[in-house]
Amino acid sequence: MFKPVEHYKPDIDKTVKMLKKMYDDAIHHRGGNVTFRALPLSDVDFYSNFDLTKYNYETDIKQYAHDFCSLLANSYEKRTLVDDNMLPTISPMLGIGDYSAFVVGDIDFRKDTSWSKPILKEIDGWKEFPPIGTSKWYKKFLEISEEMLKLSAGSGIPFMRGFFSPLDLAGALRGEAIYYDFYDNPEELHELLNYCADVTIKFAEDIYALARKYLKDTKYGMFYSEGMINMSEDIACMISGDLYREFCRPHTQKVIDHFGTGHMHTHSRAMYLVKEICSLNNVANLWLATDPNAPKPIDHIEELVKDANGVCLAIDCETFDEIENNFDKFKKGNFSIALPVKDVETAISLTEKFKKLR
Amino acid sequence: MVLENISTFLQKGKAKDVRILVQEALDANFSPQDILNEGLISGMNVIGAKFKKNEVFVPEVLVAARAMNAGLEILRPILAQAGVEPIGKALICTVKGDLHDIGKNLVKMMLEGQAIECIDLGVDVDSDTIINAIKENKPDLVCLSALLTTTMMEQRTIIEEIEKSSLRDQVMIMVGGAPVTDDFAKEIGADAFSADAASAAEMAVKLLKERKLANV
Repeated sequence: MFKPVEHYKPDIDKTVKMLKKMYDDAIHHRGGNVTFRALPLSDVDFYSNFDLTKYNYETDIKQYAHDFCSLLANSYEKRTLVDDNMLPTISPMLGIGDYSAFVVGDIDFRKDTSWSKPILKEIDGWKEFPPIGTSKWYKKFLEISEEMLKLSAGSGIPFMRGFFSPLDLAGALRGEAIYYDFYDNPEELHELLNYCADVTIKFAEDIYALARKYLKDTKYGMFYSEGMINMSEDIACMISGDLYREFCRPHTQKVIDHFGTGHMHTHSRAMYLVKEICSLNNVANLWLATDPNAPKPIDHIEELVKDANGVCLAIDCETFDEIENNFDKFKKGNFSIALPVKDVETAISLTEKFKKLR
Repeated sequence: MVLENISTFLQKGKAKDVRILVQEALDANFSPQDILNEGLISGMNVIGAKFKKNEVFVPEVLVAARAMNAGLEILRPILAQAGVEPIGKALICTVKGDLHDIGKNLVKMMLEGQAIECIDLGVDVDSDTIINAIKENKPDLVCLSALLTTTMMEQRTIIEEIEKSSLRDQVMIMVGGAPVTDDFAKEIGADAFSADAASAAEMAVKLLKERKLANV
């Protein structure tokens, strides 16, 4: 189904070197790297053709893997001539329910996303959970991943999986009650967050071991897994910097320390937390997604450069002019700039235009 | 002093203290209306203003709202006895297809913090449920929350269905949620949009005042 990764990314060696240098500079707080990601519609619109409710996840896993991998292959095929910083990756997409159901509980699938219901009525209820690794969706996720790896391994396309941070996982398990826990049950909340860090480490290790089984002999297959963890800090935007520092930082750091480096994600609504997240040790990248009704990262580049202290910030722009006008500011830090464009032709031409800026 | 203390302890989320202070204020013959306005609502207004400025966040709002409710538990029967009524009634929900409830809950708490009675229909609520609830409860406001770009389209569907049911002129409709914008609100025919829970409460009070004036 998939062709070799070099087919989709003819100059992959150059791209990987560029990304490695940027992440290494980020860890060592050196700036000066600015890379570009064109985002033609074909990079994302296939998700809307993918109906998560179509599958019985007891019997249709092979079909799911086949269908989703076909969509990925088609999407990558369309952008082979876009010489930007994007590397093709393979990762199951089950919505967001799987991000916490791997611990315990079930997933409620909708067409384009999924949920898992909060199940921790008492904050220390996790002590009664079955041992990690025994839940239905833990096993199911590994099964789905393996089917996708079987279909893609020969191509050497990197495998990638993101995880909830300990706070996001605790929030998914606990629901709204977690916001009261900061004040009502601070010690128990630390225990829960520590548990979430431990189970994330175990889950990620098992996924990586599986990926390694299929990709260890490929040149780039483990690029987004080995020595790193991709984690979201989504609900951190609901809390203050003080609470983040006291409650979240130690547990998020524990997960990063286990793997080596952290590739993090949060939202522009949490711009005030960039400094906190980027001051975690060994964070290489922070994807700062732009929210409607919230400050746009592009309007705060100088402040972000200061707060990121070298950590690569992945942000999006609306126009190429924004990139041109801010390029000198970008160079003071490390940036990966994404620009949504209408089609692949525009993606190619703007990528070439971006190269001239550098 | 006791009313100021109610406001201060409410802002700190100290529910037990607020309950004690409300009782103290009643014992000292403060009117229930003054305790509500100058103690509880005043405290929630400070929290709302700080929330808008990123000086306090969701946990602080939630514990403050809980403290307000603790005070209201004592005050509510006395207010009812004195004939003090809520300034309006709102139906609130997260729309069909969307299970997020934190934004909706924050708005509800802020509305209650402005003495607006709230009927919470929960999450994943379809237009039929809302239309039936409008008929049954006769609210002034309908507040629709959506967190996803996909589910925000359901806000449009619900407004269209309310129009088809000939109930549109009976209610004012507010929409909100992370992906929703003022332009989108106008496009789908909502009466108002608010970017955050505190602004939603301010907007609701404004709409209710305008409605009251229009009905005079």
